[in-house]
Amino acid sequence: MFKTKEGRKELVNSIVAIIIAIIFLFPIYWLVQISFKSDSETFGKILTYFPHEFTVDPWLVNLTDKTFLLSLRNSFINGFLTMGIALILGVPAAYGMGRFKVRGSHVFLLTFLVAQMLPASLTLTPMYLIFNKLHILGTHFTAPIAIAAASIPFAVVTLRPYFKSVPKALDEAARLDGCGALKSFLYVMIPAVKTGIITIVVISFLNGWNDLVYSMTFNVNAEMRPLTANIYKFQNAYGTKWNCIMAYGTILVIPVVLLFIFLQKYIVGGLVAGAVKD
Amino acid sequence: MKTKNASARRENDGYLFIIPAFIYMLVVLGYPLVYNLILSFKNVDVKNLTKGGSVFIGFENYINLFHDSTFLLVLRNTFIFTIACLVFQFTIGFAFAMFFNQKFKLSGPIRGMILVSYMMPMSVTGLLGKNIFSNAGLINDLLGKIGIQGPEWLVTGSTALIAVVIMNCWVGIPFNMLLLMSGLTSISQDVYESASIDGANWGQKFLHITLPLMRGSIMAVLMLGFIYTFRAFDLMYIMTAGGPLNATDVLGTYSYVRSFTQFKFSEGAAVAMVLFACLFIIGLFYLRMLAKEDD
Repeated sequence: MFKTKEGRKELVNSIVAIIIAIIFLFPIYWLVQISFKSDSETFGKILTYFPHEFTVDPWLVNLTDKTFLLSLRNSFINGFLTMGIALILGVPAAYGMGRFKVRGSHVFLLTFLVAQMLPASLTLTPMYLIFNKLHILGTHFTAPIAIAAASIPFAVVTLRPYFKSVPKALDEAARLDGCGALKSFLYVMIPAVKTGIITIVVISFLNGWNDLVYSMTFNVNAEMRPLTANIYKFQNAYGTKWNCIMAYGTILVIPVVLLFIFLQKYIVGGLVAGAVKD
Repeated sequence: MKTKNASARRENDGYLFIIPAFIYMLVVLGYPLVYNLILSFKNVDVKNLTKGGSVFIGFENYINLFHDSTFLLVLRNTFIFTIACLVFQFTIGFAFAMFFNQKFKLSGPIRGMILVSYMMPMSVTGLLGKNIFSNAGLINDLLGKIGIQGPEWLVTGSTALIAVVIMNCWVGIPFNMLLLMSGLTSISQDVYESASIDGANWGQKFLHITLPLMRGSIMAVLMLGFIYTFRAFDLMYIMTAGGPLNATDVLGTYSYVRSFTQFKFSEGAAVAMVLFACLFIIGLFYLRMLAKEDD
């Protein structure tokens, strides 16, 4: 099979690719394997590369902790609320910019492009002071409101080309059938750009799930914080019990990996489109 | 006449879809942005926040910053961190992009798999970095196996910065690879083939075909990389907390500490404005480049 030049090349490339994957993914293996080690092995003098005394105790320590479970819930709330705001506001805006000859459209596009680049540090302090004045610090809404300000531009920049590429005939036919703009948007256009929508769903959920800075700033109460923002609290509680800390970290990574396994092509396509524009 | 009305109506329909998101951005980003600028010229801290009585003090916060040796160190750290990350993540990312751009069965799946490090929470990356760079951690264990006594990575300033750069590159490499690959796939194979016929070797092809044709992608990836790396926060906050002795403190973490550990909100706002100014310059170049592409 590998006697031809092509075959040899395929073999060499495959071996190199596997080596790259092993080195590159080793930290993730490291994270997971520590989470299955016993306390004595974690504190042992010799560093082991896989759990010799396999145990799920570090996971149970986390999963039976009330604050942990509340944080897990809060992480999901963060993800879904961010996703909701990004979809409700971002998708229509992308449609408006992709399908209509709107005057000043480049001003809108510029606004969204700039918004994507702004660092959290810049709006963090004012937002904190504003939320403080409005007495909504420490609620579930504050962090997603701030995170969505990055997810909406991503949705617009990513989806606009998708809407642009839908054949004109499609929504013209819908209009002839008596559909208004809203109806044709909901029933004709959205199904036509389904792939792009899935990208937005995944990425905006992850924006919310991965957030650290907004969530820890706007929520002082540990029971209202998502997992990311409670890392320090649990680290202090566990001390150097790395097995428990790593079980905590692994649980934070699981949804990311699951989304990746099932929706990889949407994520990859979206990341390229969202970063490079059309 | 009728068609003109119809197209005008159509245009107005467009606004209806755009305006809600646009207003949201103005309220949630635009207003805080202006607020932050004003804040940086005042003296708001935790005392006068509730009682009132904060006043405008002009450029005092900025002048103080540039006389503050810690701030200057942080500014320097941010640039060193960003440039070091850009150099390594770009070079390795480019090599990966060229490698995975070849057609072989495992190319797609493995390229996808290594993107996980880019998508996972940066705070977990920070946890991992803290673990593998600890004194008896993975890195020193591996170094020990080849007979090298590893340093106390996170205890010494210079090595702590190296460790943070390495962890950040782990995240940045797949991002660079992904964007550069989309540039590579747009180069037609015919160009390479005709160059081969003319007797060009691999190096010549890279220098005279790949690099010039990739110019746009390369500039885009470097500028975006700068923007995303320069504003780093999560990694340092979890992995080193800016330490030891501010050695891994960057503008993002320093602004945060000023505002939310010391509760000197105006000083934090001023640091954030400096961060913004640096991003703004690069951002302008990036936007100009996008505008050129649009023409």
